[in-house]
Amino acid sequence: MTDLLRIANASFGYAGRAVISHVDLAVRAGEFLGIVGPNGGGKTTLFRGLLGLVPPLEGRVDRGGARIGYVPQRETLDPIFPLRVEDVVRMGAYGSLSGLRLLTSEQRRAAEHAMERVGLSAHARAGFAGLSGGQRQRALLARALLGSPNVLLLDEPTSGVDRGAQRRILDLLVELNARDGLAVLLVSHQIPLLREAVREVLWVADGRIQRGSATELLAPERLDRLYAAGAAAEDG
Amino acid sequence: MDEITWLERIELFRWPLLSTLCAALVLPSIGAFLLVRRTSFHGIVLPQFAAAGVVFAYAILGWWIETIGLGGLTLEDALHDPHAASTFGLVWGAVFTLGGILLLVLAGRQGGSESARAAAFFATASAAVLVFGRLSPIGRGPVDELLAGEVLGVGLHDFEVQAVAFALSAALLAWFGRDLLLTSYDRDAAIVLGKRATAFEALFHGIVGLAVAAGTLTLGPILVFGLIVVPPLAARPWARSMSGFVTIATVFGVLAAILGEFAALEWDLPLGPSVVLAAALFLAPARLAGRRS
Repeated sequence: MTDLLRIANASFGYAGRAVISHVDLAVRAGEFLGIVGPNGGGKTTLFRGLLGLVPPLEGRVDRGGARIGYVPQRETLDPIFPLRVEDVVRMGAYGSLSGLRLLTSEQRRAAEHAMERVGLSAHARAGFAGLSGGQRQRALLARALLGSPNVLLLDEPTSGVDRGAQRRILDLLVELNARDGLAVLLVSHQIPLLREAVREVLWVADGRIQRGSATELLAPERLDRLYAAGAAAEDG
Repeated sequence: MDEITWLERIELFRWPLLSTLCAALVLPSIGAFLLVRRTSFHGIVLPQFAAAGVVFAYAILGWWIETIGLGGLTLEDALHDPHAASTFGLVWGAVFTLGGILLLVLAGRQGGSESARAAAFFATASAAVLVFGRLSPIGRGPVDELLAGEVLGVGLHDFEVQAVAFALSAALLAWFGRDLLLTSYDRDAAIVLGKRATAFEALFHGIVGLAVAAGTLTLGPILVFGLIVVPPLAARPWARSMSGFVTIATVFGVLAAILGEFAALEWDLPLGPSVVLAAALFLAPARLAGRRS
């Protein structure tokens, strides 16, 4: 199976200083990966490197086979913008539009379909900022789906929403992964949820990544040991 | 003014009236983008920078003609040639505005209080206007008129310069509006979708700089910052979409211009401040709409 996204011996960081080094990673269609690790370990830098928002300081990143759908943390979007749900979702098609060109009827239908898929058709004309956290997250997922991605990258999609909404978002991701073969990579702090949903995990800590099965890397005893050692190091 | 009819007044003051309407058509839409980017304070500070640039242009005009030259004109010719003087003023107004934008962006990267920085830049630019005004060969009168928004002396050429600059700003804003919206709302998503976010941000600053410099040169800083800040602020609580926001802000701006122009002609008031006060009338209902929603 061909790699959608491939990183070879890359380092990512800011102002010439590497935050995460020696990253070797290949993402294939149908994979479902959780990106986990302690705060400050390099998760965000790796995530931004995968998206192309942080260029590699060394090594190679090949996104040739990837059509990336990006779902940001909803808190990063300012509610001062007067936008309806359909406006936000349609932004997913802006990559192919320039100047005064309007969305094609096909793109409009695709936007409607994406909203329907995430269960937001009834809220299409509602204000985006007025939705619940889970609904906003689903709207952002619909926006990402509009570009017909083969890789979905999600930043903390289930944080700060109630358990029902968390379940619904994860079920959607599992369905997209299983039914459509989309590769899904999500950053999350919610270990119990990840344990249920993902098969593989990228453990990011101290500027290094480790790839392994969720059962192994997210085992409660292992995490207790790692977080206790981290807390002791911070105290010491 | 009692002895002349309304039609005669409109005929007499058609260029300042048209210039004000033109500004009311374009500046609120730029202000709407500034508001959602949470940089409305640019709308206060930048016209002051533009005014400093325009006054600076007059202050150095004599030296410029002597050492560099201005199409073979003497200082006397330049002061009586509206094309030469206003183009020279527009260029320096734009240079100061873009310099102001650069300072605001660079200072913004260092963190700290944005409102304090805006206040400091406003104070500096205001002081520069007064200092350059003292050095100006045309005397303090035109500078005071510019600052007070006494724009009834605007002529055809001023209107032409302003109309071209506003038309270009409006066209760029319309053409790239969708990209500017995406870049302003979700910069990371814009980059992932293949948009050049930094280039669009630079373009937006250019649009703001051009419109502010041209508006300030003709109409003075009060009217420019009034139309950039007040109509969008009044429109935001009513808006449900970005296009609706821009439309409502523009409608408020145009209504304010018409009301202000009527008041200025009827009661012999300064035109610029009258328009800004008329725009402020829309703030009260906006507050009610904000509470209701």
